[in-house]
Amino acid sequence: MGVNDDKLPVYAESVPGGGIITTQLNKIFTLTQAKSLWYLLFGTACCAIELMATGASRYDFDRLGMIFRASPRQADLMIVAGTITYKMAPVVKRLYDQMAEPRYVLAMGGCAIGGGPFYYDSYAVLRGIDKVIPVDVYVPGCPPRPEALLQGCLEVGKKLRTQKMEDWRVRNDG
Amino acid sequence: MTKEELIAYIQENFSGKIELIENDMAEPYFLVPAGEIVAFSRFIHDDTKLLLHFLMNLSGVDTKEQFEVVYNICSYRHKHRIFFKTVLPYDKAQVDTVIGIWPAANWYEREAWELFGITFVGHPNLKRFLLPDDWDQGHPLRKDWVGRDVIPFPEV
Repeated sequence: MGVNDDKLPVYAESVPGGGIITTQLNKIFTLTQAKSLWYLLFGTACCAIELMATGASRYDFDRLGMIFRASPRQADLMIVAGTITYKMAPVVKRLYDQMAEPRYVLAMGGCAIGGGPFYYDSYAVLRGIDKVIPVDVYVPGCPPRPEALLQGCLEVGKKLRTQKMEDWRVRNDG
Repeated sequence: MTKEELIAYIQENFSGKIELIENDMAEPYFLVPAGEIVAFSRFIHDDTKLLLHFLMNLSGVDTKEQFEVVYNICSYRHKHRIFFKTVLPYDKAQVDTVIGIWPAANWYEREAWELFGITFVGHPNLKRFLLPDDWDQGHPLRKDWVGRDVIPFPEV
């Protein structure tokens, strides 16, 4: 066979005639998903600049199969890059609800993780998006460098590979 | 006009009603009584030697004794700027709107109203737009404001 079968979650069998592999649907599904994590652009502050830098040619998100989508309905991963205010929080929740399962959230930077520099003395800033939506991976930094964000996205991929289709979060909107 | 010429010209036309605030800035800075705001604005906007058509900024200030509303105006035609402010008492924070002169004041005045509680009499749309829609905790930029969710910075 022409494939490097120790890298694939498959069991290749020599069948007369060839061209047949046996595997679990779950493994193929999560593998393909981890290699094409389309992410929702959610930049609200300076972290968005690093997110753009990561998406641009020098760091190149595309080589991980990550392409930005402007619509939550086409996105698998939501990268929340920036400060979320109380006014913005319902919008984050709404966009998360509009994403299709399986969906993942990456909290990028101090603000999205816990309020960051606005933790004290602020009347407007939400102290961490995990108060509103579930978060899978936290990437600390103010803002994190593109390498850190890439690492975070690889961690999302790793987590995704360990999940089973029956573990997908069930929508609870009725 | 230079700063000195602006000061002389404006004081000549508005003598006794406004007061000059000495400063090191490149622009003249006047203190205008709250009752004179609209007349003064109309004058500097319409006067052919001033033509201050562009409201750059309008901001509220809380000094703990009083409120101030600061206006920053510039003229593209004559390439000069002036600043002026008015002082409002804490218990009666209201001033006439300048939307009739500079329409750009609309959102600035809404912002000052929302965050400081300064009422702009005659404003057509004094509604909330920066804070969350269900906000019920008053005016957060007032110095005596205490919020429900605010975590105070720890003493070190």
